[in-house]
Amino acid sequence: MSATFYEAGYEHHVEVIHQRDGEARRRLDSLEVMLYDEGGALLGAPRVDPAQDVLDLGALVRATTSATERVMVVFDARYAESIFPYRPHHYAYLHRAGSPAAPLYYAINAVLGGVPDRVGATNINNFETYVFRRGPFAQRYSLLLGCLAHFVPVQAQVFTYYGSRRVAQEITLEPKCHAEVALAAEHEGEPLARVEVKALFRLLSYVVGRRADTGDLVLFDHLFTYAK
Amino acid sequence: MARHLRSLARQLGGVARPSTYYLPWITRPGLDCTLVLSNVEARFKPDLNQGPFPVSVVQYDADGRAAQSYQVTLQDCTDTVEVPLAHAPGGCGFATVIGERLHSDLYVTLSDGHDYTATHGRHEFIEAYPLPARVLLGAGGAAAAVVGRTLPIFRRNQYVYLGRESRSHVLLMNLSNVTNRIRVAAHVGDRRIGSALLRLPPMGSRLLDVASLGPMPAAGVVSWRLELEGNAWFNLYLVGAGSRDLAGPLSLMHVK
Repeated sequence: MSATFYEAGYEHHVEVIHQRDGEARRRLDSLEVMLYDEGGALLGAPRVDPAQDVLDLGALVRATTSATERVMVVFDARYAESIFPYRPHHYAYLHRAGSPAAPLYYAINAVLGGVPDRVGATNINNFETYVFRRGPFAQRYSLLLGCLAHFVPVQAQVFTYYGSRRVAQEITLEPKCHAEVALAAEHEGEPLARVEVKALFRLLSYVVGRRADTGDLVLFDHLFTYAK
Repeated sequence: MARHLRSLARQLGGVARPSTYYLPWITRPGLDCTLVLSNVEARFKPDLNQGPFPVSVVQYDADGRAAQSYQVTLQDCTDTVEVPLAHAPGGCGFATVIGERLHSDLYVTLSDGHDYTATHGRHEFIEAYPLPARVLLGAGGAAAAVVGRTLPIFRRNQYVYLGRESRSHVLLMNLSNVTNRIRVAAHVGDRRIGSALLRLPPMGSRLLDVASLGPMPAAGVVSWRLELEGNAWFNLYLVGAGSRDLAGPLSLMHVK
């Protein structure tokens, strides 16, 4: 599966077509979309046309729910087995309406939660890291984490590094729940250098940077696994 | 099929593909472009995680000249070094990074001093064509350019988004030692709305304003599909711009 987060006020578009080469602008066989609130409640599973190129995620969420908080959007998309046996690789675009900030393009996260051998990632991919610029910058950092497990909660450890100091946070996410975990930009005078996420199962994870004054997203990126 | 033919042609023509890690760069007045180098992903790989790690960066300008080089050292696998890139002719290009036992994705960041955007580089290759192949591709490309076309040896498709408050540009990078004529055609659905033919010198780059290919939308955000063809290996990064276009904050993003 693939998953992302939608926040109100953003233009947010997701490519649902695979366009690896000219002759193979492959359409999906099927596409199911599910929306969850922070507490894991299903907000809706709107029907979407798998034959379209680009999905207007903002319009879809607004038509499905009146929720104004962050929504976790899960894509269960399939090609015909003969074309690609694994999940599609979706790219996306987001920009807050009225914001002078640059729009962001990003790659949507792959998450275990469906059929593992269809994900195409057999290595351990639940131990991830990301490095930051030293700054100082007027932006707030956080992790957006989501749990796609069906039955059991997932425990995760988030380690942030400041010079030689390490700060640990523990978080438990119930199935389909999601959370924003703030990362302090500074600790005992040292700037945030990097973050690590360890979890027993793969979580949906994005590293996020927001402008301190407006909250506009300026970073929305995947982390990197230690086990490629 | 086309892939196998290209592979066969490469072998017959003696084309080399040395493995190369590269990142895009853009400089503008008031915009700082800095690389963030580390080897953190090698932390748990015993054969790769023993520092120090000397790293060499070569910054190629838009005309493909090696404009600057930088030598830095990562003391250990958790060390991070920031390398501010100098302005170079054309204001855009790519930088190659060489480091023994370097086994980590590296970042390029753009900052207006207030905040920063970031993306990572690519571990791919640069194509090195021998002289006969360079002459052949040069002649074939020039002939095709007369009618506004190129030799479509490599193709890519890319979606781009644009609206009244945001713009997209495409940073095209010629990752080869031959002149690369890249044709970019913009489509809405199956309808072609415009095209451009760009001539990139060996190792050169060009920044293409997507809005130059067709009419801007009156409202909202629209997506266009770009079809790109080149006579030699190339890649692209997307450049996101806000309402101030290239004079304001920018973002960079790798693609499929």
